[in-house]
Amino acid sequence: MTGRAPRGRRPAPTNRDRLVATVVVGWVAPVQLQGDPYVVAADGTPFVAVGAGGICPTVRVGAPAGGWAAEQVEPAASLAHPDPDANAALLLHACVGNRVEVQGGGADGAVGVVTGSHEQFGAFRHLLVDFPAAVLEGITPEGRFAVRAIGCGLAVDGLPSVVCHHLSPELWDAWGPRQEEGRLVARAVATVPPELVGMGSGRWAALTSLAVQTSDAATLRRHRLDRLRIGDLVALRDWDARHAAGHRPGAVTIGVVATGTSRRAGQGCAVTVLLSCADGSLVAEPDPAANIAGMLGIGMPSGRAGAAPLTPTVSRPGSSPAGTG
Amino acid sequence: MPGTDPAAGLRSNADQLVTTRCFAEVVHPQARAQPAIDWQGVPSALPGMAGVARNLRGGSPALGWACDHGEPGASVGSRDPHQHRAVQVLAALGNTVRVLGGGARGAVGTVIGKHAYVLCDFEGAALERMAPGDPVVIEAVGQGLRLADHGDVQLRNCSPRLLAQLRWREAAGRLQFAVRGVVPPELMGAGLGMSSEWANCDVMLQDPALREAHRLHDLCIGDLVAMAEQDHRFGRGYRRGWAAIGVVVHALSPLPGHGVGVVTLATGPTARLGWWIDPGATIAAAATGVGAER
Repeated sequence: MTGRAPRGRRPAPTNRDRLVATVVVGWVAPVQLQGDPYVVAADGTPFVAVGAGGICPTVRVGAPAGGWAAEQVEPAASLAHPDPDANAALLLHACVGNRVEVQGGGADGAVGVVTGSHEQFGAFRHLLVDFPAAVLEGITPEGRFAVRAIGCGLAVDGLPSVVCHHLSPELWDAWGPRQEEGRLVARAVATVPPELVGMGSGRWAALTSLAVQTSDAATLRRHRLDRLRIGDLVALRDWDARHAAGHRPGAVTIGVVATGTSRRAGQGCAVTVLLSCADGSLVAEPDPAANIAGMLGIGMPSGRAGAAPLTPTVSRPGSSPAGTG
Repeated sequence: MPGTDPAAGLRSNADQLVTTRCFAEVVHPQARAQPAIDWQGVPSALPGMAGVARNLRGGSPALGWACDHGEPGASVGSRDPHQHRAVQVLAALGNTVRVLGGGARGAVGTVIGKHAYVLCDFEGAALERMAPGDPVVIEAVGQGLRLADHGDVQLRNCSPRLLAQLRWREAAGRLQFAVRGVVPPELMGAGLGMSSEWANCDVMLQDPALREAHRLHDLCIGDLVAMAEQDHRFGRGYRRGWAAIGVVVHALSPLPGHGVGVVTLATGPTARLGWWIDPGATIAAAATGVGAER
């Protein structure tokens, strides 16, 4: 772990010494096919949706979100608990930055890091965990994953209107949100306009992800969202995700890009919510390097796999990877 | 709808459509174990979904009720999930629905919306006699309907009967429909990312200031609205330069990210699809033949 909070700036104080540390468990989420092999893109093109569930050694946090021949690709390991209520608790307790230990199976004893969560309404809720590539190759289905969960209930001293979700003390230190003139200032790569937020509206921020719609490539380029990477911290303008997520002028939500892009209408990169505030006490500060891969020393911080570089199918200079999914 | 001669309606492939008779029943409301939390952070437990709403019907205000996703008239569906899916997808607005049993046996109503269930309006006297469990049959026809002369504008959830009653005109190369208001894309909420034929998309209208700013403060069930920057051909999502036309089908939910439900009738690029504001743009009186007494 390499905490990378900007030098000379201390993260805002929190109630971290009052958090309850828990352990929750999951297993590799099965790759599932519901019905037909084809899903339909926003433009009416049928395609085979690859990317949700299972283990994906070639796409890890830090990689481009777009350009993969995939649909909302989930990086590294996708976990779930087979009991739906326990699975919801897994997503509630596990925070981005928490350590995950493999117990049993081919990768027994390996340690990974939570990078996000992803809900597909009516289909699944997955917890996404990064491991080194060699570990990902060795994981077998019988392995149990124990999440050393801490962070649920995190609050910022003196800023009760800022609500935290899925935010571990580990990530807090590495990200380094700081208090300035009575507001919390947090680094983010980009700001998403409210009309691009899609699926996830109306659902509990603590249990879901919010889609940044990616089927309109020209609009993504206009808002400089066409080169997002998995792990990027992004701000959602005018979105209030303190409890259930909805549009509210003046609110700000900041989350982490948890998955790749989508070709489907109303869907897109799944953003796991980390911070939300409706009264102006939360401010996003632009930082093109605000990606959790670099902050936590995991994944593919340069955007490529270290040992086995993999060129995304349509991600080349001058292209717009985020819109071409 | 007054002022429109159905004989001069839009040409379509209506004669190619197949009518499917779908059985369903009035669904009993279900209560949550815990209250929801409304847009102001207050716990909320309100009626709204399923059952029979006796005083909330086509033409009723969509705002101002003490309800959560208030479904007008009788909400019908199937206990079998596969049959329910068929009823949801195949039913189109304007379809005829008949009551097969119970106190309102023989009553004839009209599909005026889709949400968790298919929302059917009946005469007030029939709604007073209906109850959860009553069997109904829907004469489902409308999916597959296409316009003969406006290929870039695609129809969804629109029966030939409703199409014949929509007020339309052609101007500047666009097919235009009469609507009561325009929904900006940032107000589109729950329902994005789902199939265009499934349920509806909520418009987040909880904040009175936002409602007034967008002149959507007096919407009624059955009103036609335009949805700007939306492409609803294959699921609902944002797309610049496109739009969708839809019908308000359920009353406001106070929950964040939810709101007033709108079922899509038509979608296309704004170079081909347009609208004009008309205070009388409602399907209530036309499609239902009944609707709330206004």
